[in-house]
Amino acid sequence: MFSTYPGQVVVDHPVKVPIEHRFDPYVDNGGTLLSIAGEDFCVVAADTRLSEGYSINSRYVPKSVKLSDKTVISMGGCYADCLTLTKKIQQSMEWYHHAHGKTMSTAAVAQMLSIMLYQKRFFPFYSWCILGGLDEEGKGAVYTYDPVGSYERESCRCAGSASSLIQPFLDNQIGFKNQASQKKTLSLDQVLRITKDSFTSATERDIYTGDYLELFVITSKGVEVQKMDLKKD
Amino acid sequence: METLFGITGKDFVITAYDSKAVASITLMKIGENKSRELNPHTLMLFSGEPGDGVHFSEYIERNIKLYGIRNGIELSPRAVASFARRELADSLRSRKPYSVNLLIAGFDVKTNKPSLYWLDHLASLADVPFAAHGYGAYYCLSLLDRYHREDITEEEGIKLLQKCVGELRTRMILNMPDFVAKIVNKDGIRLVQL
Amino acid sequence: MDTLVSKYANSASSASFDDADNLGQNMAGWDAASQFALPAFDIPMVANPVDFLRAHTDASAENRIRIQHGTTTLAFKFQGGIIVAVDSRASGGSYIGTVSLSISFTTSQTVKKVIEINPYLLGTMAGGAADCQYWERELGRRCRLYELRNKERISVAAASKILSNMVYDYKGMGLSMGTMITGWDKSGPQLFYVDSDGTRMRGERFSVGSGSTFAYGVLDTGYDFNLSIPDALELGRRAIYHATHRDAYSGGSVNVFHVKETGWVFHGNFDVNDLHWEYQAQPKGPIV
Repeated sequence: MFSTYPGQVVVDHPVKVPIEHRFDPYVDNGGTLLSIAGEDFCVVAADTRLSEGYSINSRYVPKSVKLSDKTVISMGGCYADCLTLTKKIQQSMEWYHHAHGKTMSTAAVAQMLSIMLYQKRFFPFYSWCILGGLDEEGKGAVYTYDPVGSYERESCRCAGSASSLIQPFLDNQIGFKNQASQKKTLSLDQVLRITKDSFTSATERDIYTGDYLELFVITSKGVEVQKMDLKKD
Repeated sequence: METLFGITGKDFVITAYDSKAVASITLMKIGENKSRELNPHTLMLFSGEPGDGVHFSEYIERNIKLYGIRNGIELSPRAVASFARRELADSLRSRKPYSVNLLIAGFDVKTNKPSLYWLDHLASLADVPFAAHGYGAYYCLSLLDRYHREDITEEEGIKLLQKCVGELRTRMILNMPDFVAKIVNKDGIRLVQL
Repeated sequence: MDTLVSKYANSASSASFDDADNLGQNMAGWDAASQFALPAFDIPMVANPVDFLRAHTDASAENRIRIQHGTTTLAFKFQGGIIVAVDSRASGGSYIGTVSLSISFTTSQTVKKVIEINPYLLGTMAGGAADCQYWERELGRRCRLYELRNKERISVAAASKILSNMVYDYKGMGLSMGTMITGWDKSGPQLFYVDSDGTRMRGERFSVGSGSTFAYGVLDTGYDFNLSIPDALELGRRAIYHATHRDAYSGGSVNVFHVKETGWVFHGNFDVNDLHWEYQAQPKGPIV
């Protein structure tokens, strides 16, 4: 199987070693994703631009995928890795369904994703994942991951190219960090407005964010998808 | 900065190790055991890469103990040293070599003779009258050359070790806490107060 | 694949890459040993996987895969058991030697750095967040299997040795984990330090992470074995607070746990900003 080495060339040479070229299977395709958990809902949002360096390769490549009526995954980073990972999750969820006759809960998908990412500890997926959905009690849940699978449940999270622009804003508006006022629970309408504002503002300052915003609203009634225009320059 | 000592005498070997466990610039612990009893009359001291010492010496310990259980007879210190050396040498040629320095102190109950073996991390093995590993060796080997005799008694051995530790305390830039000393003789292995 | 497998199987202490394709998926013949087999990991098909990983996680890498780092954690034994205290910050970005390129971003201020392995075992988290989470979860699974097989709880010494042995098999491959395993077993309160070098040691008092030196400063000077439980909890909380104050990689809030004979008890989450103003308002008191 050594013949499958990338770039291996067999030549007549006194020293028989495989010639190894640089193996760099990662690229950053940019894009921003965001998820906010509410009392009985969860919003998962991401822009749809796919870029590579200074080129925009596509204006509409969705980063979020509905996994079940209660769970939506959103991923950024290297799009190829994100595609593979999404397929792996979907396949495992199908097997789970066949084996147990029920759909995986959001918490179970969350733990599974952590293990899937860690299985690639020595050859990581270059992907930033945010899992949004409803937990067993019907409350909004957001799970966030690093590329090798450490994860945490939070109330709101932004990841991807504009995360350092949006996350402090979310801490202020959703987490009420450093504010004298009492913490409030936000309505779906308020959360959607904050989400949309976050993305329109990030589009102004981050070259990798733009084109369209795709919003997944997860409630007990199921998943509703909304689309919104962002600036396309 | 770890230091190990071993000195043979008339009918015993005395060994000592500093009991410091260090991580980067922090002293994590005093009182760490840097020795393992391979069989009732053989003691192994180790220093080197964190983790490797314990794993390698416990691996050797278990194999030596297994030999004793299977055959109902102890391996001689010389055989133990040969086995350890071979295991270390094989590991050096593997993907992940152990990086440990060792002293093996033993008392051969057949010949009634004490013996001390010095092994470095490249698996060089030497049968020596006295030995040291680590920075302490730079200070104390000359001292041991000067004072050591083949026929020293246990009392003299302890005194000689005290001289070594005293020298380290006066000249080493680092704080040298208590050394743990163990004697191997015909009765087995015992702790001694320095 | 065979060549690659044998390459790893030859190592002195590692048998972890045996037949990566079959591990855990062969349901037909159940093998007791497989319960304790190490999980299989994907390895890039390059001559040196270790260099590959390093090249892509290094601070200098073009598309850097940032793994969360930075921490202050501590644990100490005293007459009332063991106190465990940790901060809650994770930093994804890191500095690069020169000043020109410097990205420092706090990924999270709410990380759970005390991992509740089971109701009577706690593990702390320093180094790679994923490494700690994954391996301590695996440890929890093994402890449960031990319990079911032997009809008694595993000792803390044995549990910590399992963890140490598991990560030692991957030594040199880039794992990063510095943890303290604590609990109360038949022989009383137990505290062990275990790291990804393979070091494992029993102790009375440990602090681990980038802010550990600062925590030690406060902890060592304020420590007394006969501390009352409230005083001990306060010492742990205060040592972490002072570490977060001096170490930029530590911050967020302090989580405090108390390990007792009946298991561990959570003693609260304290925002370090609130603690700062609380301590500022207090007189510093005499130096004893």
